[in-house]
Amino acid sequence: MSISKRFAELEHIRSALNEADADPGRIVMERMLSATEAEIAGRRTILAGTNNYLGLTFEPGILEAAHQALCEQGSGTTGSRMANGSFASHVALERSFAEFYGMPAAMIFSTGYQANLGILTGLLRPGDKVMIDAHSHASIYDGCRLSGADFFPFRHNDPEDLRKRLRRLGDDARGALVVTEGLYSMLGDIAPLAELLAVTEEFGAYLMVDEAHSLGVYGEQGRGVTEAAGILDRVDFITGTFSKSLGSMGGYCVSRHEQLNLLRYGSRPYIFTASSSPANIAAAHWALDHIRSHPELRETLWSNVARLYGGLKELGCTLGAEPSPVVAVRVGSHDEAARIWNELLAAGVYVNLVVPPASPDGASLLRCSVSAGHSPEQIDTIVTAFGEAISRTAFAGACCSGQA
Amino acid sequence: MSTDTGDQYQEILQGLYGMLERFPTRNIDLQEQTDLVADMGLDSINVMELLQEIEDRFDIIVPLNVMSDVRTVQDLATQVQRLIRENS
Ligand SMILES: Cc1ncc(COP(=O)(O)O)c(C=O)c1O
Repeated sequence: MSISKRFAELEHIRSALNEADADPGRIVMERMLSATEAEIAGRRTILAGTNNYLGLTFEPGILEAAHQALCEQGSGTTGSRMANGSFASHVALERSFAEFYGMPAAMIFSTGYQANLGILTGLLRPGDKVMIDAHSHASIYDGCRLSGADFFPFRHNDPEDLRKRLRRLGDDARGALVVTEGLYSMLGDIAPLAELLAVTEEFGAYLMVDEAHSLGVYGEQGRGVTEAAGILDRVDFITGTFSKSLGSMGGYCVSRHEQLNLLRYGSRPYIFTASSSPANIAAAHWALDHIRSHPELRETLWSNVARLYGGLKELGCTLGAEPSPVVAVRVGSHDEAARIWNELLAAGVYVNLVVPPASPDGASLLRCSVSAGHSPEQIDTIVTAFGEAISRTAFAGACCSGQA
Repeated sequence: MSTDTGDQYQEILQGLYGMLERFPTRNIDLQEQTDLVADMGLDSINVMELLQEIEDRFDIIVPLNVMSDVRTVQDLATQVQRLIRENS
């Protein structure tokens, strides 16, 4: 009975999306043409919603590395590292991550989602306290829930609110965990990490930062917003993913605490799942080396960011935040967002349609992710398509009122 | 329930009604058995705002995980009372 009710509930969600012609889940990339182009519904389409920030997925080097690993190590690991042993390539990638961050410990996971689940459930027991930014990714909320700890959202990017909440915890604040992200994936805003860390330290708590969207994008060496904020030596845990700037699949955590390695003995999302496939590991490792030796990739990315951001601003769009590789156009309503999104697709431009409850503050967004792989011409095409899509939608005036 | 805790509960309940009225209530009459989601239609963002208001008003801190057991206004008032007692 309860399952049939659940099916009905989901069917309701599905049909609502369908009626509004706003179901991103129906998009099929029929053929990949490059890191920034695919065929969708038979149409050549520019991809501006794939988190492929450095555009590495078709680099000859990454393909060769993955191909070689596939041939030498096989198609899968067929087991968990704790039960079935590690491949040398897993251990080597962990070493590279630790070295890249200048930290004593690194662990890799099968996805970024599992990295957050694995770290949070590994560190926290029922009754422990954890403060999370209200805009945190689902994997952070889910990790907290799964751990059984008491968790408390604080106002997004608000160190004062964090302080107020930690104070209310009384003695429990000491040793509590504070969780934030680097670059936030929906609005494209970044966390005030130095300020959040100062508050965290004031109470003797620990800080964990998810850099899923900021690895390879922020910081002199691409180590994320933590590096850009100058607090790499003081942050306790950094998690992230291979699935965005590294163009592969998997997740990681690095820490200044060597004891991170102990989580291998008590983190179920680490223990009870197969380790990443050799090809994924090889691709991620190649990409990590590549971003270290090619800082100019970030320059290309940021120049594309400036071009897209400037172009959309000029159209009068209301944008989510300061320029970042995530450029989110706010629109007035769910329906309007869906209309513009479909117009863009028809014009051969793919972006992300983000509506509540997936959007953080009830906003309806057309979210673009910029890539170093985009050509300036592609960026211009995206801007032009936005201009035309917006002017064709009935509420153009309401959508682009010009205020930030 | 002693008179003291009964009074405190009533006070909390009245405070909650005051806060809840500011959310879109679908013109329903708020009662102890009103379901926050099914009857009122609060979404996750509303719940977050509500929690922050409750915390400031009663100077407590409400774990989000506690909210999974809260369905009605009465459940909420009971939890708030429990947290106030734990805090003092
Ligand atoms: C902030 C954040 N953390 C974690 C993840 C999960 O990463 P993955 O795709 O590797 O599971 C994502 C991506 O969806 C994310 O946006």
